[in-house]
Amino acid sequence: MVYVIAVYDVQADRTRLFLNYLRRHLVHVQNSVFEGEVTEGELERMRNHVEDLLEPGESTIIYTVSAESYVDRTVFGDDPTEDSQFL
Amino acid sequence: MNDNYHVFSDGRLERHNDTVRLVTDEGEKKYLPIENAEALFLHGQIDYNTRLMSFLNDEGVAAHVFGWNDYYAGSIVPERGQTSGRTLVEQVRSYDDPDSRLSIARAFVAGSIHNMRANVSYYHNRDHDFESVIDELERIGDGLDEAGDVSELMGMEAGARRAYYSTFDAILPEGFVFGGRQYNPPSNEVNSLISFGNSLVYANCVSAIRATALDPAVSFLHEPGERRYSLALDIAEPFKPVLADRVIFRLLNRGQLTTDSFEEDLNACLLTETGRKTFSKAFEETLDRTVEHPRLDRKVSYQYLLRIEAYKLKKHLLTGEPYEPFERWW
Repeated sequence: MVYVIAVYDVQADRTRLFLNYLRRHLVHVQNSVFEGEVTEGELERMRNHVEDLLEPGESTIIYTVSAESYVDRTVFGDDPTEDSQFL
Repeated sequence: MNDNYHVFSDGRLERHNDTVRLVTDEGEKKYLPIENAEALFLHGQIDYNTRLMSFLNDEGVAAHVFGWNDYYAGSIVPERGQTSGRTLVEQVRSYDDPDSRLSIARAFVAGSIHNMRANVSYYHNRDHDFESVIDELERIGDGLDEAGDVSELMGMEAGARRAYYSTFDAILPEGFVFGGRQYNPPSNEVNSLISFGNSLVYANCVSAIRATALDPAVSFLHEPGERRYSLALDIAEPFKPVLADRVIFRLLNRGQLTTDSFEEDLNACLLTETGRKTFSKAFEETLDRTVEHPRLDRKVSYQYLLRIEAYKLKKHLLTGEPYEPFERWW
């Protein structure tokens, strides 16, 4: 398992492609920012899929750490990942 | 990670852009990352359609439904991904052979008694005197070999559970009186927590069994057909003390649940929505805890232990390797 932070910068009319895809795997924390825990295999699938989606001039960055506890995370305001399992 | 998602709000669940979306009655939209979901637990009043159901089926995600009063109402489980005629044949054969059935049933009871005893010993070592209960549990556990049939085993299990429950009033903080197990409906706070906790264990067992080719309706300790997924009742037995009861002790002793977390309704005592949320959260944290597994030589989550139990049973049925029940080793 790895903890992932994914950010993207793409043309305005194409953001929904990335939004919709990443929502299946991760928690949407802010405009074009996602977080969550995934398996190695799932991460590989995500990398491939994101690469396929990209067009020239666009970028997506996926940061990974081996566990969530290694991320020193300070949130100001509401934390969208809090209680994401409980709706 | 195989996450369980608990939905407490009222609203509508729908398939939206290849994932699941909850639209609450207040119009709020929330998304569930479907790719790492194990199951949805529906506690609120939820509408859904067949499109969502076939999507959950494709993704292999179960939905467990909880009613307001009776707690566990049923599960909508995905079509089995694992099918194995041989497993089913061996499972039924083993059920039908009195000796074989008895030895599997005995393992479930032995595991259950061992884990009850672990809980009692824990509190015995922390300023309680439960010597006599520990002796009683040990005595019943040692006598399991003498049981001639499954109903005798059930009787022994009930005796062990009575002894175990007799410690609850001493373990739990003032203001909470247990006074013996009652259900349908639970008559007091503690009974209500046990009912809810056990139904969460049970639902997780349904999910775990679904990951194997075992048939959830063919059971050994409980009579098949007693409830639809009676094998889940069997497997749940040794896990209740570890998963449900420890959460109850923790939440009550730390004051995270108080008498305000319950409401009296038609002679029943039930958790409020906030209470259920607190409990489910603590329960999920417990499922996510990991422990070093001596045979697998790696860390596994408590949730995965349920899955291991189903695998071990299947292996026993197919290869005859002795079935060693889950007994807390840490």
